[in-house]
Amino acid sequence: MTPILPIGIEARTPLAGIAKPGAPAADAARSFQSFLLESIDHVNSMQADANRAVEQLAIGGDTDMAEALTSIQKADLAFRMMLQVRNKLVQAYQEINQIRI
Amino acid sequence: MIRAMDISTSALVAQRVRLDAVSSNLANMSSIRDEQGRAKPYQARYVVFQADDSVATPHGARGVKVASVETETVEPNYRYQPGHPLAIQDGQWKGYVAYPRVNMTTEFVDAIEATRAYEANVGVLEVSRNMSAATLRILG
Repeated sequence: MTPILPIGIEARTPLAGIAKPGAPAADAARSFQSFLLESIDHVNSMQADANRAVEQLAIGGDTDMAEALTSIQKADLAFRMMLQVRNKLVQAYQEINQIRI
Repeated sequence: MIRAMDISTSALVAQRVRLDAVSSNLANMSSIRDEQGRAKPYQARYVVFQADDSVATPHGARGVKVASVETETVEPNYRYQPGHPLAIQDGQWKGYVAYPRVNMTTEFVDAIEATRAYEANVGVLEVSRNMSAATLRILG
């Protein structure tokens, strides 16, 4: 078994998708939109996976209980992550909405 | 973090298979015919684990999978039962019946080890879940 590599600073490459603050964001709006749609899609597929796993478990299929429960947990986690992003978005929208012109 | 959950889950599945092997060994500790019905005593099964590259993090952490299930080859446990229909008819063990040599102590130690490993991995799963929940509080 290969040993677990030490997680060094150099291993952490800067996130490609996140532009540096102050840098011009040419297609930031479009990419954020696609990012959002992709993550919703991803969350949705995870929920579908969890549903399938539970269904398999219920009808006595070839699924381990641990696998089914982990897929539920993962779907829940992804959903809550998405919910947090959505809450933040709505919050930002409301803040802007309250600006008096 | 979701990858860590996958790794722990692979360990849960693997330990589950190991416990399946133990239950098979204990269930068949008196089986004097094999799966095909031949008069061959059951041989204990042992599960071999292997690091799994398909469940891995970019930093080198690996999941685990069942590499193979090995069948033991030990001398059977001979019991003198001349009236038994499956008794050996000739040779050194004439009149004996070959019974499986399943060591109950080994099997139970294996079962306890598998259970403890399972619990440990559930613990890791819980820790990574708590960590993820804590991370979500950044935006909260």
